[in-house]
Amino acid sequence: MRDTADTAVLRARGLRKEYGTGEGLVRAVDGVDLDVASGETVAVMGPSGCGKSTLLHLLGGLDRPSSGEVWLGDRRIDQIGERALARVRRTDVGFVFQAFHLMDELTAVENVELPALLAGRSRSVARRQAASLLDRVGLADRAGFLPSALSGGQRQRVAIARALSNEPLIVFADEPTGNLDGAATVDVLRLFDSLSEAGQTLVIVTHDARIAATADRLISMRDGAFVDETRLTGGSTGQLGALVGLEG
Amino acid sequence: MQQEVVLAMLAKEPSHGYQLRARLRQALGPLGDAMNAGHIYVTLTRLERAGLVAAEPPTTARDRPDRKTYGLTPVGQQRVAEWLAEVSWPKPDLAEFHLKLIAAAAAGLADPLTIVDTQRRELLRRLRDAQRAAMTEPDGSDAALLLEGIVLRLQADLRWLEACEQSWTGRGSRS
Amino acid sequence: MGRVLLVGRLAARNVRRRPAEAALLVLAIMAATTMLTLGLALHGVTDNPYQRTQEVTAGADVVASVGPLEVAPGRAVPVDLARLEALTDVPGVVDHSGPYPATTAELEADGIRTEVWAVGRDSAEVSVDQPKLTQGSWVEDGGVVIEAAFANALDVGAGDQVTLNGRSLQVVGVAVTAAASYTHVCFGHPVCSFLIGSAPDWVRQGPPAEPPDGQTETVDVGPSTADAGLVWLTQTDARSLARAEAALSYVMNLKLADPAEAPAFVDAHSPTSWDALFLASWLDIRETYGEFVRGAQRALVTFSSLLTLLAMASVAVLVGGRMADQTRRVGLLKAVGGTPGLVAVVLLAEYMVLALLAAAAGLAVGWLAAPLLSDPGAGLLGSAGTPSLTVSTVGVVTGVALGVAVLASFVSAVRAARTSTVHALADSARRPRRTRWLIALSTRLPVPLLLGLRVVARRPRRVLLGVASIAVTVSGIVVVLAGRAAMAADWEGPSSLDPQAGRANQVLLVITVTLVALAAINAIVITWAAALDARHASALARALGATPGEVSASLSAAQVLPAFAGAVLGVAAGLALWAALSNDEANPTYWQLLAVVAGTVLVVAALTTIPASIGARRPTAEILQAELP
Repeated sequence: MRDTADTAVLRARGLRKEYGTGEGLVRAVDGVDLDVASGETVAVMGPSGCGKSTLLHLLGGLDRPSSGEVWLGDRRIDQIGERALARVRRTDVGFVFQAFHLMDELTAVENVELPALLAGRSRSVARRQAASLLDRVGLADRAGFLPSALSGGQRQRVAIARALSNEPLIVFADEPTGNLDGAATVDVLRLFDSLSEAGQTLVIVTHDARIAATADRLISMRDGAFVDETRLTGGSTGQLGALVGLEG
Repeated sequence: MQQEVVLAMLAKEPSHGYQLRARLRQALGPLGDAMNAGHIYVTLTRLERAGLVAAEPPTTARDRPDRKTYGLTPVGQQRVAEWLAEVSWPKPDLAEFHLKLIAAAAAGLADPLTIVDTQRRELLRRLRDAQRAAMTEPDGSDAALLLEGIVLRLQADLRWLEACEQSWTGRGSRS
Repeated sequence: MGRVLLVGRLAARNVRRRPAEAALLVLAIMAATTMLTLGLALHGVTDNPYQRTQEVTAGADVVASVGPLEVAPGRAVPVDLARLEALTDVPGVVDHSGPYPATTAELEADGIRTEVWAVGRDSAEVSVDQPKLTQGSWVEDGGVVIEAAFANALDVGAGDQVTLNGRSLQVVGVAVTAAASYTHVCFGHPVCSFLIGSAPDWVRQGPPAEPPDGQTETVDVGPSTADAGLVWLTQTDARSLARAEAALSYVMNLKLADPAEAPAFVDAHSPTSWDALFLASWLDIRETYGEFVRGAQRALVTFSSLLTLLAMASVAVLVGGRMADQTRRVGLLKAVGGTPGLVAVVLLAEYMVLALLAAAAGLAVGWLAAPLLSDPGAGLLGSAGTPSLTVSTVGVVTGVALGVAVLASFVSAVRAARTSTVHALADSARRPRRTRWLIALSTRLPVPLLLGLRVVARRPRRVLLGVASIAVTVSGIVVVLAGRAAMAADWEGPSSLDPQAGRANQVLLVITVTLVALAAINAIVITWAAALDARHASALARALGATPGEVSASLSAAQVLPAFAGAVLGVAAGLALWAALSNDEANPTYWQLLAVVAGTVLVVAALTTIPASIGARRPTAEILQAELP
């Protein structure tokens, strides 16, 4: 088995996030340690309010921990300044949100090229890259559409293409299928699968078992802490046929 | 294999055993791989004995069951019509697992939470396999549809297991 | 009755829900109504003091003067004193004083040099036009009495020393008269008609080449002065000041049996061709005393219309921002059976009530503040008293306030009332507009401008309103600057003697402060609305890798760039407005205009930086977690 410490792209130690003081103290994240190896897909599951979204924001640099360390690549990100953090978000991290968070007045390709433009790439390079990313998620023919003309699943795929815009070390996804119906969920599943096969590291927070089942590792979270970890790769104990009672 | 299914597969026209098998495999996709060839012929023989199908004489002299052509009898046809109109649904057998937990707790043989956890892990793995299988099937194929049904049922079962976990955690802290 | 109550209740509740916006709306309209009230209240404010002064000084009903008529340099038609004296025999003239000699002279006081008209008077009191002393005593040999407004401008009083034509004299007194107001003093020259009332054609055409009856004499008449002050001396001293006996003018004060006949008298006896007999009625003279206040009044009324435009822009932005909220209420009203008419009334009622509040407040403040600007000056006795609010003033101000409210909210209200009930209840928030060329352009620019331009592109209507309000403000400031330049150019003497200066500066200050205050309110309202709107986009930009500095710069740029455009537009509009309002050539200098544009940009940048950087530093996760609107 690989020694994760050597190829870990994400490392967290003793992460804590607290709100309020005294009587009103709320520990959203209460002492989390995590290692994610390169190319791994990790899913975090838990009931609502267990702190998994907060954890994702801490890991992805969208929020600062109250205490603890977060290492992205070989850089520590929990205490750097806002400017440096912005740079991290530009180069090392891609985020996918439950509500998609696309800009309503920009077309699909304009949405996807935005991170590249923010990173200072030239107009033409950013546009070309965005077009190829849209092709990768299967929406090349919808490049000029506004989000209002796209279905939920298509919007989320655009958001995923946007997250890939700067070739991030890790893609973080916060309930990516929360607002999607069955068919759209399958589209997103397929996409995550192909990304994972291409070697992209994914950290996904979800309460949808289907998404969780695509992961290599599934972590259960409750009340701000990890309570369980399951390795899902490796065959199941029964044959598929048992699922439909084909024997006898 | 449900007898009525085999009956219904013969409703369109009489078929050879191996034709039947091919059709079933196509409809079931990867799940059909687990199907034993012998099952079909056993079922067909039972149906013949019950008078629901009739074997037509083979065109060749050899009397091999796989070369026989089977067709529906009028009784068989009626049975198929009745079966199509039925609305019974496969029973979800949760009672067994439910009782398993209660028995383990009562007798002190095992921690119910551990049982739930282990089962959960297994179901997750099955879910993963079913999902994988579903993704390799072409969109809109019969097999894909079946696999979606399996995935959704597993999802529902997993939700129930979560509820079990919450409930049994509560009980543990109470006692 | 029930409907009225319902409308009233709904309107009151709406106002209570968003008190800050209601307050801003009232403030915006109040600025316009206050200035309008001030302007209207200054109307005729010098009439009473003038009347009082006339009574106390036994002022003349007609002032007549003659002087040598210059037909060529060094040659003039001699003065015909008999002609002047003959006026006393005209029926209707019941009393007179004079003729008194008058001459121009150069006065120097405390280092200031200026032209004056010196009139020689008797030390004994007379029955027509006896100036009332406010300091010291009446004329005596070696002493000079200075007219009060002039003395105020010179800053001299009884006991000081001045020189007249080089000769040192002591100021023995300061007095008030109703016969000539400071800078409108002139005796015996047709040009005098320019200073008082309007000049007849024959004056405009200039002196004839040949004298009417051929008689001239050699006399150095001296320049005809404008903007001169008035001083009194003994007759001997006055005569000795003149260049020559022949260069003297003479002035006579007439009292009529019926003062109302004065204009007719003047018309009957005024010459119809180039002549040195000059007549002015007390009505004409009274006008000149009011000129300073009239200028202020005109300025205030003019600028109040600019302020009305600004107020409309403010109200439009405030109303537009609340339309999303209104739409849902509209849907509810309609769903329970309200007609489109009722709905429109409910929507407008709230704004009309606020407008009425603003009108009342403006009337009150304007009425209270009017005395500060209505000082008739040192040249008249007494003060203007409390200005009265006439019914017409109240009506005009209220009408303007209501007009602003209705016009600015009309479009939004109609649109909201016309929305179908289903859409209104569903109430999807206003989609941002997609402005393709701006988005494409922004990709060529550095990150802060890229984001800033896109913020602008999302709500073009609001940005246009912001540009408009800045343009209106800057055009107002340009007109103010042009006015000052014109006034400075007008006044030829030392600037400290400019009678307009004090009051004009006061008024211009009031105008400028109000303009800028209202523009600041506009800017705050627009920035606030824009920041709220851009919150989500800014948070997203930060999540995608923009630094807080870039985001806050973009929010600022989204305000500053339109402000720059507005300032440039405003300069052009202001210059055009000035050219239309007056045929004065004076314009603000290029440096002043540049300073205005730069100042506007800097002020807007300063005003918007703080909310922008606060907005840029809020935790990203918080904003993105919230449900999308």
